[in-house]
Amino acid sequence: MNGIENPIVFYPAAIVMILCGILTIYFKNIMHSLLAAVVVFFLAGMFFYVLGSEYNAVIQIAIYGVAVPVILGVAVMFTNLKRESVEDKKEKSSYLKYLVILTGGVFILAIIYLLMTSFVILPDSFTYALPEETNSLEVIGSFASGIFIRYVWAFELVSLILTIIAVGLTMFKRKERS
Amino acid sequence: MADLILDNIYLVLLLPLWLFLIIMMGRFFSVYVNKGVIYVLTLFSSFMGAMLCGSALWKLDAGRILENEIPFLKIDDFVINMGIHADRAALIFALVLFVVSFIVQLFSVSYMRDEKKSYRFFAFLNLFNFSMAGLLFSPNLFQTYFFWELVSVVSYLLIGFEYGKKEKSDASKKVFIINRIGDTALISGIIMCSYFLYSYSGNASLGSLSFTDMNVISTILYAYTSTPLFLLICGLFIVAAAVKSAQFPFYTWLQDAMEAKLPVSALLHSATMVAAGVFILLRLLPFFTLAGITLKIISVIGILTALICSICASSQNHPKKVLAYSTSAQLGLMFFAVGMLNIKAAVAFFAAHAFIKTLLFLTLPDKEECWNYWNFILFLLGGLSLSGLFISGMAAKEMIYAGLDGGNTVLAVLFCVIAFLTAFYITRIALVISHEYGLVKSMPDKIKLTSYILLILMNIGLYWYLRSHFEYKVAEPFWSALTAWVVVYILYVKNAFWKVPVLYPLSYNGFYLDKFYSETVVKLYHNFTGMLNKFETNVLSNYRPIVFCSKIPVKLVGLIEKEFMDGTVRLIAVTAKRLSRLDMKAQSGNIQRYNAYAFIIVTLILSCLIIAYIIMLSYIGG
Amino acid sequence: MGEITVYHYLFLGLALFVIGIAGSIISKHVIKVLISIEFILTGVNINFVTFATYCDTPKFDGYIMALFYVAIGAVELAVALYIFYLMYNKKQSENIEKYGDL
Repeated sequence: MNGIENPIVFYPAAIVMILCGILTIYFKNIMHSLLAAVVVFFLAGMFFYVLGSEYNAVIQIAIYGVAVPVILGVAVMFTNLKRESVEDKKEKSSYLKYLVILTGGVFILAIIYLLMTSFVILPDSFTYALPEETNSLEVIGSFASGIFIRYVWAFELVSLILTIIAVGLTMFKRKERS
Repeated sequence: MADLILDNIYLVLLLPLWLFLIIMMGRFFSVYVNKGVIYVLTLFSSFMGAMLCGSALWKLDAGRILENEIPFLKIDDFVINMGIHADRAALIFALVLFVVSFIVQLFSVSYMRDEKKSYRFFAFLNLFNFSMAGLLFSPNLFQTYFFWELVSVVSYLLIGFEYGKKEKSDASKKVFIINRIGDTALISGIIMCSYFLYSYSGNASLGSLSFTDMNVISTILYAYTSTPLFLLICGLFIVAAAVKSAQFPFYTWLQDAMEAKLPVSALLHSATMVAAGVFILLRLLPFFTLAGITLKIISVIGILTALICSICASSQNHPKKVLAYSTSAQLGLMFFAVGMLNIKAAVAFFAAHAFIKTLLFLTLPDKEECWNYWNFILFLLGGLSLSGLFISGMAAKEMIYAGLDGGNTVLAVLFCVIAFLTAFYITRIALVISHEYGLVKSMPDKIKLTSYILLILMNIGLYWYLRSHFEYKVAEPFWSALTAWVVVYILYVKNAFWKVPVLYPLSYNGFYLDKFYSETVVKLYHNFTGMLNKFETNVLSNYRPIVFCSKIPVKLVGLIEKEFMDGTVRLIAVTAKRLSRLDMKAQSGNIQRYNAYAFIIVTLILSCLIIAYIIMLSYIGG
Repeated sequence: MGEITVYHYLFLGLALFVIGIAGSIISKHVIKVLISIEFILTGVNINFVTFATYCDTPKFDGYIMALFYVAIGAVELAVALYIFYLMYNKKQSENIEKYGDL
């Protein structure tokens, strides 16, 4: 069945996802919060799948679900785990804290307002139609045409940035060693 | 007609560029750290260049021109092309370029052995090959200009190769700046030509100044523009050529260029790069033939430079300076030959001079070492050839002399004087060096010896070629040069080099031209900037004199200053202090706090936009 | 519990985004801050994919943008981790507040 409008798929997953996101920040132990983050990333991948983009789901799970937590875990192991984890100090400027909370509320309200009025703002031809049944091969084809034809410059730019970062970090390490 | 060599002549250009990129990039990514690979690739590229040019020269018929162009810049119907335009003159120049650079690179393999950053040196040599070949093969004046600039950039890079040393970097800067005069003259001439052709000729394609229709261009320009304008354009081109070739008013830069290493001096500043001026004169010859006076100016500049620089060279004690002045003088002879429309002699003398001068430079003692007998003998051989007594130098010089036809006695006498002086200074400097450094019995190492032998073979080959293709006879310059050798030998044996009272200081200081520049142009510039500086410090920054000029405003100003301005200033100061204290709190360096600020500000902007939108909607709706 | 509409997905992305912002401001551990930044990117990605699915059916530009975001996120993570490595060597602490002295 089409999972995109199925509340039985959506609500449990969304609740678990938000819960794990909050827990990630809440946990004192960094390893626990990392595990919670893995759950969030996997669920995001699941949502991509439900929304009809298998390719994005695979990328999300492969990179965010597996590779990034592994690298971050290595970085955590590199730090000294035996020491007491970061102690909670009192917030020095409490007014900033309240200001941030207030701003967060305002932000959420603003976004909700924008979403709700988007029917009014957008032109008539732009309607929220229900998604059609799309063949996954079609999606991949449009991916290919997007990457290699319409957004080829952006794609090359991103790959260039990746290459530069890879080479640059290697050079940094090399300079450090010598 | 498909031909493997003629179709692939562009490789001559692309191989050195490819190598330059490969060496620099490879160094950056730390591959190709092996010096041997770099040496072999570089030598291979110049060898291939020489082979390609030679065989193309062999196969190309006299009237045919190889052309291969692509549009590079397009503005409406005005198109500038890039590509290759190879005729016989360009191929001969390129052949000499690649042969000399092959030999010099071979020499510098041994010369730069102990240098740490020799890869950079080789990369620049490759870049030089590319830019010089691009200049020689350029299909229109615009591409010539690009490569003209590139060549002076490479010269700057190579002179300032050891940029840590102050005098070297200073010399490189000076050379670059003086070369800018020629560049400016060239680009102004090009732009004037192109503008007039584009707007008056009615044929937009002529505006791109292609060398193939240079005859048409010069005729149209001569017909449509007034004579002074045409002469101005010709004069700009002559100035450009004279600066590049270190001719009379601008020859001072070549002495500064001698701060570079030996191979660089040999390759760039005597053999090939400075001949670019002669080359561009040959390319623009249709212009000069239309206005006869420009040809006369060219030949006068040439013979004057030859005379002055020969006199200057006969009193210098530093060998490289002698050779630099000598280079200017020989290039002056080439200019002279071009001015007499003796093109074959000019090209032949260019080739002969390139080989001889490279031999002379490469045999110099370097880095305060003793001179060995082999180098001494080779230097003397080169000197003999340069003074016109031996192999290629003799043939080429006699060809220039034959172009005089004996019609003009003054020129013939001047030519003989120059030949005498040439022989004089080259022998004198050989004796001076051998006296100063001392002679040691030792062999130069194998690589250096190979390059010397190659150079001598080239000289003999050129002599054989000239002898079999052109007729010449042994004439007065030969005898005057021979006299000079005898005179110098007698003077040396008697140990009687005396200093002529007026001529010696004049000659030793290079006719005070350098001093003249620093006294007039540089001093004028300094005075002007100093005046501006004084004006600013005394008048502008100190407003009180202006205020005191008039009496009534003073009190008013004082009142305002005391009561109003001071208060305002204090207010500003207090506000700034408080703000800065606030800001100091904000600038805690805590990343998260910055993050929070950013978030708050973005949200503020967003909500402001939304509120503005709502207000706007309400107005529209109501 | 009615049918799931486009708003549900958009609010999910918004929630993840806000959690990320809050985490990046509140948490003291560097790694936690990095994870929060990844949350932000994931929230944005959900937004992109949702819009692409619902209103851009033949072209799916949002999917491609999401792909680019993943790549940029990986780059940012690499640089941030290297900076963390250097700072940790210098300060011997993973508390972000100790990195603050200018």
